[in-house]
Amino acid sequence: MTHLAATASTIHLPHVNYVSILPILIMMGGALLLLLLSSLLRRIISTGVCTAITVMTSAAAAVAAIVQWDQVLANGAQTTIAGAVAYDGFSVLIQLLVPLALGLTALVADGYLKREGVVGGEFQVLAMASASGAMVMGAANDLIVVFLGLEILSIALYVLAAFNHRRAESGEAALKYFVLGSVSSAIFLYGIALMYGATGSTNLAKMAEFLARRAVLSNGLLLAAMALLLVGFAFKVSAVPFHMWSPDVYQGSPSPVSGFMASVAKAGAFAALLRVFVSSLATQRLGWQPVIWVLAALSLLVGAIVALNQQDVKRMLAYSSINHAGFILLGVDAADARGISSALYYLVTYTIMVIGTFAVVTVIAGRQDRATGLLEFRGLARRQPVLALALAILLLGQAGAPFTTGFLAKFNVIEAVVLTHGYTLAVIAMVSAAVAAFFYLRVALTMFSPVGEFGDGPDDDVPLDPAALVGAATPGAASGVTTVPPRAWSAAMPGIDELADAPPSEVVEARGKVPVPPATWVVIGFCALFTVVFGIYPAPLVDFAQHATLLFI
Amino acid sequence: MDAYLPILILLILGLLFAALSFVASTFLAPKKKPTAAKIAPYECGIVPEVEPPSRFPVRFYLVAMIFIIFDIEVVFLYPWAVIFRQLGSFGLVEVVVFAAVVFVAFLFLISNGAFSWGPVVRLTPGVPARTSSSTIARISGRPGGPVTAAGVPVSTGTPGQAA
Amino acid sequence: MTVGADWYLGLAAVVFALGLLGVLVRRQTLVMIMCVELMLNAANLTFATFARSLTDIGGQVLVFFVLVVASAEAVVGLGIAITIFRHKADVNADSLDRMKG
Repeated sequence: MTHLAATASTIHLPHVNYVSILPILIMMGGALLLLLLSSLLRRIISTGVCTAITVMTSAAAAVAAIVQWDQVLANGAQTTIAGAVAYDGFSVLIQLLVPLALGLTALVADGYLKREGVVGGEFQVLAMASASGAMVMGAANDLIVVFLGLEILSIALYVLAAFNHRRAESGEAALKYFVLGSVSSAIFLYGIALMYGATGSTNLAKMAEFLARRAVLSNGLLLAAMALLLVGFAFKVSAVPFHMWSPDVYQGSPSPVSGFMASVAKAGAFAALLRVFVSSLATQRLGWQPVIWVLAALSLLVGAIVALNQQDVKRMLAYSSINHAGFILLGVDAADARGISSALYYLVTYTIMVIGTFAVVTVIAGRQDRATGLLEFRGLARRQPVLALALAILLLGQAGAPFTTGFLAKFNVIEAVVLTHGYTLAVIAMVSAAVAAFFYLRVALTMFSPVGEFGDGPDDDVPLDPAALVGAATPGAASGVTTVPPRAWSAAMPGIDELADAPPSEVVEARGKVPVPPATWVVIGFCALFTVVFGIYPAPLVDFAQHATLLFI
Repeated sequence: MDAYLPILILLILGLLFAALSFVASTFLAPKKKPTAAKIAPYECGIVPEVEPPSRFPVRFYLVAMIFIIFDIEVVFLYPWAVIFRQLGSFGLVEVVVFAAVVFVAFLFLISNGAFSWGPVVRLTPGVPARTSSSTIARISGRPGGPVTAAGVPVSTGTPGQAA
Repeated sequence: MTVGADWYLGLAAVVFALGLLGVLVRRQTLVMIMCVELMLNAANLTFATFARSLTDIGGQVLVFFVLVVASAEAVVGLGIAITIFRHKADVNADSLDRMKG
């Protein structure tokens, strides 16, 4: 034994660059601190204090990420902790995006938790833990770190989905999410195990080096590993055909959690997907690119077409998020610097838009998240014009209307795919964008159609937002549609007609103004302004995404 | 395309396995369907009109869950203990941080009453404890008992606990 | 007679397939959670086998992480199953049909 101890006495400790993991440490520290406070000060600590701590933690993490950005700009991309953590522009962008999304979600959740009468800081603790998982995924340079980040992200999200335990749908959504999510994690893990066997390491840099050194011509193990990894990622980003969980889960979860899932979980999963496949498995492109192609095409088409038929707005947004996943997959399919930067830009803009959209859905849905049907949005423009305008902007942004961030996002990914000669995929994407514009417009027009239109005679001075019509001019659609009068639009859209024929329900008639908490106003305003301001003046955001890509390991 | 061959073979084998399982189960499974008397809870006596409610001892699951979590954390302490001297102060700091994190979770459990295993008087503050009159009101469906916004009677305790 | 690495890998693959089949076929929530554990442990066995054949200690370390993650996942799954028990008498996955479309 003494001999053994003597030989092993020199343990080489890896160098740890603490600045490189500072945002993650801050986020985890904030979660622990709040957990400690809420256990010691049970029934004393208020929801407002918990929200304040969460927002401050997010702000601190974001500031740390800005410090990181300066360092990365000065020193270039590098890895730390024995190559397990990447410290590059790409990771810094995720470290900045996720705290931003978390802060916005916490502000929305503040109003939600007060409305539902939930006490205690568990919601915020879980949200912070989940966000730290997404940040770990963004910085991971080792497959096992990706897995740990994925699990930290998912396990907290399973509980968040079940958070409204008075509502049966919430538990049901959580169980569905849990079973399918844990199966996908297990598949992903088995993929990591096979990758470890095929390349001899789980470190992404070592894997890439091994694969570059040896031309692996017929390695079933490697192909099986890539297939399993892709299945795991496709589950997490809800790409068709691995999307079945997402409509149920988005509908059943508390609305702020659905927004968080659509933004943070997707950001983390896409960050890891880009790093693992585009960066490390670049040499195996011929093996995985066809699969990404199919995933992207199916997600684009199924997401857009099935969303047309949805009567529940949360379900519709779930299918729309599947559609968006298809667009981001276009950037992955392009698999070059332009592809990565366009995917990143898409992620940033989509994150902001989807959180804002779900913030509006949260306030409209009312107690217990009941009122999420499309009819609940009817006449919203008359009752609360500012809220309706904000939602219209966010939906138009998601549809890819010009002068919103969504337009350039869609344009960039399609351009990236066209430049790599993926013409078929580009056409599919444009068709999908045009189809998707219908269901976004359907919600927008529902808001601007008055409730009593079919009860007390036609009401022609519908306060129709001119922007709602501009929205049709997606990259795929013709630009001349702006001159079409509103009535022609509703005739062109079967969904609208169905809606018009349906008698306005009593619930809708009885609905007055929904209360919007000030914190939620801040979020909705921020998201809508972000969508418009960076839509008109996109240069800083595009530069940021491109810089982040250039500093990619 | 050669490279995809093993996957194809694996796929075929998997499908064969699934198909064989179905075929085997039709041959091997008992042919006769059990009669109603066979599956009844009691073979003689009064025929039960409703299924007896299955008691679900939530408390036991809670204990098991807490045990699993704290049991598995020790896994990390063992390798650390083996090379404790070589790791030096760095290892000590890391383990202290790890232990502190686990301890915060422990505090959370204590503050939520997960370790008070005595008879539970009341779990939800503000909700009156279950009495015989509230139970009668609840079963007969008449208003009177505490009811949530969803119309579901509030249960004051876990299902496993005797009223 | 020695048992080579291939046998261990084959066993792991079979266990993984059985776990996946179990999740897809069985309808009892608790059984589904057990099947997920089977899948994770199959991955663990693969890690350990490759670590031995590659003479790399890294693969064995990963097993520790996976064990912890698996236990955390099982606990959360049980917790969610219990919250569902409060609404319905059974945890049969077929009865979770409130949301469709």
